[in-house]
Amino acid sequence: MSALETEVLIVGAGVLGAATARELSRYKVDVTVVEKNVDVGWGITKANVGVVCQGRDTLEFRPEYHRTRLLWRALPLMEPLCRELDVPFKRVGAYLMIRDQVLKEKLDKLARRTESLGLGSDRYYPYPELKEREPFISPEIKGGLHDPEIAVVHPVYLTQALMENAVANGVRLMLETEVEGIEAGHTEFRVRTSRGEIRARYVINAAGEWVDRIAAMVNADDFVLFPIKGYVGVLDRNCAELAGSLLAVLPEEPGDMNIVVPTVEGNLLFGIQLQINRRHDRSTTDRMARKALENARRIIPEISEKDIINSFCGYLMFRNFEIGWHECEVAMSARVPRFINMTIGYPGVSASPGAALEVVEILEKDGLKLVPNPRFNPYRKDIPDFSMLSEKERKALIKKDPRYGHIVCRCETVTEGEIVEAIRRGATTLDGVKFRVRPGTGRCQGGFCGPRVARILARELGIPLTEVTKAGGASRQVPLRTKQLLEEGGGDG
Amino acid sequence: MASRVDVAVIGAGPAGLAAAVAARERGAERVVIIERAEQLGGLLPQCIHNGFGLLYFKRDMTGPEYEKAFIDMARSRGVEAMLEAMVIDLDAERGITAVSRRHGYMKIKPGSVVLAMGCRERARGALGIPGTRPAGVMTAGTCQRFVNIEGYMPGSRYVILGSGDIGMIMARRLTLEGAKVEAVVEIMPWPGGLIRNEVQCLHDFGIPLLLEHTVTFIHGEERVEGVTVAKVDAERRPVPGSDRFLPCDCLLLSAGLIPENELSCRAGVEIDPVTGGPVVDQNRQTSVPGVFAGGNVVQVHDLVDWVSWEAEAAGRSAAAYADKGRLKRADGVRVLPGKNIRYVVPQFISGKDDVTLHMRVTRPGLKATVKVGGVMWKRYRTVRPSEMVILEVKGQALREAGVKGELAVDCEIRGGD
Repeated sequence: MSALETEVLIVGAGVLGAATARELSRYKVDVTVVEKNVDVGWGITKANVGVVCQGRDTLEFRPEYHRTRLLWRALPLMEPLCRELDVPFKRVGAYLMIRDQVLKEKLDKLARRTESLGLGSDRYYPYPELKEREPFISPEIKGGLHDPEIAVVHPVYLTQALMENAVANGVRLMLETEVEGIEAGHTEFRVRTSRGEIRARYVINAAGEWVDRIAAMVNADDFVLFPIKGYVGVLDRNCAELAGSLLAVLPEEPGDMNIVVPTVEGNLLFGIQLQINRRHDRSTTDRMARKALENARRIIPEISEKDIINSFCGYLMFRNFEIGWHECEVAMSARVPRFINMTIGYPGVSASPGAALEVVEILEKDGLKLVPNPRFNPYRKDIPDFSMLSEKERKALIKKDPRYGHIVCRCETVTEGEIVEAIRRGATTLDGVKFRVRPGTGRCQGGFCGPRVARILARELGIPLTEVTKAGGASRQVPLRTKQLLEEGGGDG
Repeated sequence: MASRVDVAVIGAGPAGLAAAVAARERGAERVVIIERAEQLGGLLPQCIHNGFGLLYFKRDMTGPEYEKAFIDMARSRGVEAMLEAMVIDLDAERGITAVSRRHGYMKIKPGSVVLAMGCRERARGALGIPGTRPAGVMTAGTCQRFVNIEGYMPGSRYVILGSGDIGMIMARRLTLEGAKVEAVVEIMPWPGGLIRNEVQCLHDFGIPLLLEHTVTFIHGEERVEGVTVAKVDAERRPVPGSDRFLPCDCLLLSAGLIPENELSCRAGVEIDPVTGGPVVDQNRQTSVPGVFAGGNVVQVHDLVDWVSWEAEAAGRSAAAYADKGRLKRADGVRVLPGKNIRYVVPQFISGKDDVTLHMRVTRPGLKATVKVGGVMWKRYRTVRPSEMVILEVKGQALREAGVKGELAVDCEIRGGD
């Protein structure tokens, strides 16, 4: 098999890889993205809660840090980007709250700095006024500093949209393609993948969780990453009224990140107790779950265990954790020319549009010719969301395609039309469909629609039901036919 | 819809079918069932085991046989049905919005409505089981559908969390399919389902029932590789050091059923926080006039026969309402769950007519006496939370006792648990 040749190879189709690919698709550059998963945005991106922030909630938000500059740059880009790509963006605002009046001084300091940096003037609301705006907050709260800029996006939707748009503009996407080794030559990299060799002039390492391992393949790993995880609980939509903004408590101890935050879909999330983690371990534990619920109830006492419909582990990679401060990098490796590492960790989603711009600038500075792509179209249309449409729009949609009149997921009101469209746009698994059009994310968690979505997938992909997976690999939902075990004399029974 | 609908029934499971038949028999002209699935019968088609109809038909039937009997009745009585049609809204004036591939976007304003949406199973998220998120975790009912309707098996080695009836029935079904069921794990000190299922589905097949145990962790990256099981203390918290690993490739959940009342809430129907279903009067009328409810949407029953009976009452009342445009509420007396009683349905009775009270006890016990105020009492050899207590109370007895306002129901236990 002859090697695929490309100018820029991006390793990883998370939010950073996708944003970079999309940014590069503005130019006549041959770009290839390789992703080891069956779908895009399934690494660290999926474990992100989707808060778009500037980081002014912490005193470590200093202009001299790269992270700060990235966020500054990225933040104004996010809303227009979401508009171009037709993905939901909700400016919810945030309250950084205190339970101890002594800490008010710290909030004042933060507010003064935000003002001195010309970022706006965050106002402090003492409890009675705060309660008027967020009526369910605990009386334990003394007050909160309002940051009106904070917004939420869905990290996986954003990544899918970025990648869809990049592909529409000419980027090559190779899924289930794992990088196994990289050899750095004088003019090009020879990248061994599970799908054959790729030769690339530039390699952009956006491998997220595995960014250090990929860098190590060419000896460009001059940094240390620490995996951190935290429990995130998802509340039923009937709790949506409990919080209209992101409600955060000013950390009293390191790792104490207690927030309640609305999602673009109208659920509330709560968490997150951060803890150092084993690599790739995204399991939740009973202790984390109980602690997170306890903390969330100290923000909103009405949050109840019975309203938790799901939970997952937020997961991120901290860089240089040992020196006590997380710094991120988008830079060409000092040791390996034309090899660019993207180690953002937190907050990757917020920083992604800025990080993508930086990559383009680094490439240009290195001599890559950036001729505008005349076919570049910045717009992408989202899959219609039947549940959010007006009566008139619903009627028109069903008339155009009757499959939009067939509701498959009853909790989230997802139609067959949406599921088929998600598959057309690249979903090949149950999670792929779920993370595009939401069947199974509601309160019954797929109990009713699971078998039906599996059947639609099998039909649309032309595969037997036994080959339909939850998320690729060995995750087949129903690996056996009935009677098969009896015929094979399987099991011990 | 071209012509007027007298009674619209939401859901075509055993409750919906029985309600529709009863509404026709009570004289409703046009009765339409709206069902989201592709066939009638709700979950009955996948319940291929026996034990249905022992009370209603005095015969031991399978789920599909029971379903067929009701579908035949519905056909012969001229009940109409819309399949793959989903009600997406119900307002407080009985206005229904529904969509389907065939009928498109529909607005229906029937004379009355019967809620017969049944119940759903509690999912992993609601149970909050820690661990990884691999393939191979599903509810027992979803597994039942895969095995009995689709003809597929989600795995070959199972652990079942919760000893609800569907879980125990699936333990037997999967064993008969050649799979290995390692254990049924139940957090409470007593099983969650019927005694007969414990005996016929677990004991007869040598499947261990681990009472006062729970699953504390799910292992596996892409597929389930096993679960950690631990003993629990009196507060239902895992006992440290009691955990052990059970290898399996599938974890089934059978840990509770929840009445499906999202539509009821949209219409503003008052919900009983204990049953999870609408508060109903003796006629099965909800707090919203002209909206009735019957079957598992009101309370989770043990036996389908009672689902049918309860829904018939709702169907008859709905027909009466559609006929006159109103129905006098039978809510003169509020029934209150007293000592060791978790709930009583209906929550309101007329206080003058014969009534059947459905209730569940909070704790099991031997030699129990259930007392309905000073009106009547009945002795039971045993009572268990998993077996519904059903009491017929005579209208004459209520009238003679002069019951007014409130009526408390208590369960006294003399024999310990």
